[in-house]
Amino acid sequence: MGTNQPFVIYPARRVITINPAYPFGEAVAVAGDRILGVGSTDELASWGEHRIDDCFAEHVIMPGFVEAHCHVMSGGLWNSTYVGYFDRRDPQGLLWPGCTSIDDVLERLAKAAADMSDDSQTLLAWGLDPIYFPGERLVASHLDTVTGDRPTLVLHASGHLATINSALMDRCGIDETATSPGVARGGDGLPNGELHEPAGMMLAGDAFVDMMKANRTEQARWRYANEARNAGHTLLTDLGTTQLWDPDQLNNWKKVTGDPAYPARVMVAMSNLFGAVADPAELAELCVQLKSEQSDKLRFGIVKLILDGSIQGFTARISWPHYYKPPPGHIGNGLWLTAPDQMADLVEPYHRAGLTVHCHCNGDEASEAFIDAVEEVLQRYPRWDHRHTVQHCQLTTPAQYRRMAALGMSANIFSNHIYYWGDQHRDVTVGPERAARMDACRTALDSGVSFSIHSDSPITPLGHLQTAWCAVNRVTASGQVLGPDERIGVPDALRAITIDAARQLKLDGEIGSIEAGKLADFAVLEDDPLSVDPMALRDIGVWGTVLGGELQPAQIGES
Amino acid sequence: MTSDQRIPITVIGGYLGAGKTTLVNHVLRSTDERIAVIVNDFGEISIDEDLIVAADSDKLTLANGCICCSLAEGFSAALDTVRSAGVLPTRLLIEASGVADPNQIAAYGHTPGLALDAVVVLADAEQVRRQANHRWVADTVRIQLAAADLVVVNKIDLLAAPEDADALCDWLTGVANGATLVRASRAAVPMDVIFGPELREHAAGRSPSTVASSARAAHDTAEDVFESQTVVLDAPVPLPVIEALVANLPNGVARLKGLVQAAPPASADDANAAETAYLVEAIGKRTSMTPHATDPTQPPPRWAISLISHKGSLAPDWLESRLHERN
Repeated sequence: MGTNQPFVIYPARRVITINPAYPFGEAVAVAGDRILGVGSTDELASWGEHRIDDCFAEHVIMPGFVEAHCHVMSGGLWNSTYVGYFDRRDPQGLLWPGCTSIDDVLERLAKAAADMSDDSQTLLAWGLDPIYFPGERLVASHLDTVTGDRPTLVLHASGHLATINSALMDRCGIDETATSPGVARGGDGLPNGELHEPAGMMLAGDAFVDMMKANRTEQARWRYANEARNAGHTLLTDLGTTQLWDPDQLNNWKKVTGDPAYPARVMVAMSNLFGAVADPAELAELCVQLKSEQSDKLRFGIVKLILDGSIQGFTARISWPHYYKPPPGHIGNGLWLTAPDQMADLVEPYHRAGLTVHCHCNGDEASEAFIDAVEEVLQRYPRWDHRHTVQHCQLTTPAQYRRMAALGMSANIFSNHIYYWGDQHRDVTVGPERAARMDACRTALDSGVSFSIHSDSPITPLGHLQTAWCAVNRVTASGQVLGPDERIGVPDALRAITIDAARQLKLDGEIGSIEAGKLADFAVLEDDPLSVDPMALRDIGVWGTVLGGELQPAQIGES
Repeated sequence: MTSDQRIPITVIGGYLGAGKTTLVNHVLRSTDERIAVIVNDFGEISIDEDLIVAADSDKLTLANGCICCSLAEGFSAALDTVRSAGVLPTRLLIEASGVADPNQIAAYGHTPGLALDAVVVLADAEQVRRQANHRWVADTVRIQLAAADLVVVNKIDLLAAPEDADALCDWLTGVANGATLVRASRAAVPMDVIFGPELREHAAGRSPSTVASSARAAHDTAEDVFESQTVVLDAPVPLPVIEALVANLPNGVARLKGLVQAAPPASADDANAAETAYLVEAIGKRTSMTPHATDPTQPPPRWAISLISHKGSLAPDWLESRLHERN
């Protein structure tokens, strides 16, 4: 037969298909929103009436990158000023250099304050990571020197702390009479502007609430997808940030993804994280219902659960000998956010409804609890091809990987941690031996567990070339290799950010590789990831993406 | 600080299945006070249907006119929802999740306009020792118990023998260091133990102990084992006497609450020295003396101290004698 519709042939420097049966091509042909084929230009031309577009002749075309774990607040936070330690590009493509000292942070805030026209408007900032300023502490008196009377709130990278200035303390009535343990005090016994945990941060009133509300806007959803496009991603997974039972949030997603210009596909997970109105059985039913309402760009069918906290926050559940050098007064182990013996009952309704459960497990006790729960549920209700996934999977042990393989589970490994916090994990949180086996892609591969790797953006920057670079090189921010035996090859990493991420989301029949009949979703790169020095993987430029056949050039701003 | 205008908060904690929701229902059923309820996880809440007059997607309107909502959108949003009801609550219950550290929730009691009254932690009499030694949740369960001002040893009727209950309570006394222990079945604890003795002349709103006993005869339960004593104070009491009373409460005292006028120290010859009013409270290891502002346009309050104690643990005139010690 052939195609009746005219199609476009894009010759490229190379097409990397991630299809083992046809790994490379000279060109790709696109008919409408689908891939007509891969091959030589002549082979593709033989399909019929076509047009040749040479715009990618110097580029390398890969399947669009698939991010299976990030959050829509990645777009919303850019309403606030970025003061993180590492360089970061915003969704407009502007480079925000990292603030590598407290003085840098203050300089950034001073500029942001100067750029604001309304004197009463609160200055909001995000991304402060005090772990990089040991021995120093950003407090209200620092902020006061650059913000004056303008109320100011700086959210820390962990999301568990905020630092506010004196003007905001005054407005919120936080003074020496404060009794909340969430109000930190300086050496003089007076509140120093640091607010701990929700009970402390809520004392900042509207400033904190406004920051969270910014994540619900259409603008946040657009920025989320723009940032993805700039990094070569064509599918994002909002893993547990949206309350899908709230019609406003659901319709907001339907509206933005319904716009033909919206530059990404989004998988939105069902979540009970923030207190659901219904029991799991009702949520499962709703999720099944939503699957029937999905579109090419808006997908449903996965569920996010959460078991423990974070390793760098000393709240992940880690088995004995627990933490290496926890802060004074630490209780010894992390926190359960869901009771482990409740997990099987929580997983069961989703499992029975044919959905895939993705569970946040940073520590190995959490992984074990989730694997136990899946095993239990499988005994109650045997089911093929569930693809239940351990998310983060940071300290999952070889024995646990073997169980996961036997049970048909997937892993989504938080490889970016190696670079962003690897030094701290080796020196402080878990110690050298266990840090060397964190985020164990090689063990997953050798155990036969299908895995992806992720950014958890906004926790670390979205960008699969960077994430693949972490999994391949395991180099920390200080330049040391952490656990060389857990490194994987570039081809392994490229599968993890494309077909295997799609597989985890049960989308591998439609996306994740460049093959005839699949959706025409491409990452268009300036260089060849299989040819460059693996240490240069993250430096490869991204032209943009092709999404359903539409060209989506990246926006690269001035720094 | 005007303590009387702040809404008292009771945190209800305890591991999965210990009976937290049962206790919430019991409280709502046992009093006409306007009690609002905030739950950690709305998905788990099951307020009895007859206590609900309206159900919304994000909140329940209770028969007492108050709201039950979740922490889904954060505590300030939950408070806004609670305040959106036609009536302001006189008390706030916060039901923690089964794995939460109640101290973390208790931190919300420092929000302006609120005052932490007590952390009540339920323990499942049959399960708690196993849970406290479980490979994964032992620390969680022990942290919860250690945070308690009042431990409700629930489902006591499920234990095979009274000696088992005694042994359990001995063990719990060690784990929940300093907390008051109350044995109960179906979380049926007298309101005076949960909220402290009623101080008002007419205990408006709070029903007397109408709790039906559901325990087997072999077991003492809460309503059988507590008694109260009240001393009405006709004259100011020296401050050191009040301080000494609060600081040295014997173990048998479950709760103490008083509204007192403290006399200035005898040495004070300052003409301006006047009596200061205090709200005095004690539960478990938590004691407080909060300056109490009196409204001159209102009739003076009834100055009195009440306490609830385990039956037989104190002489009937114990409180009276303490208050009349003059050194």
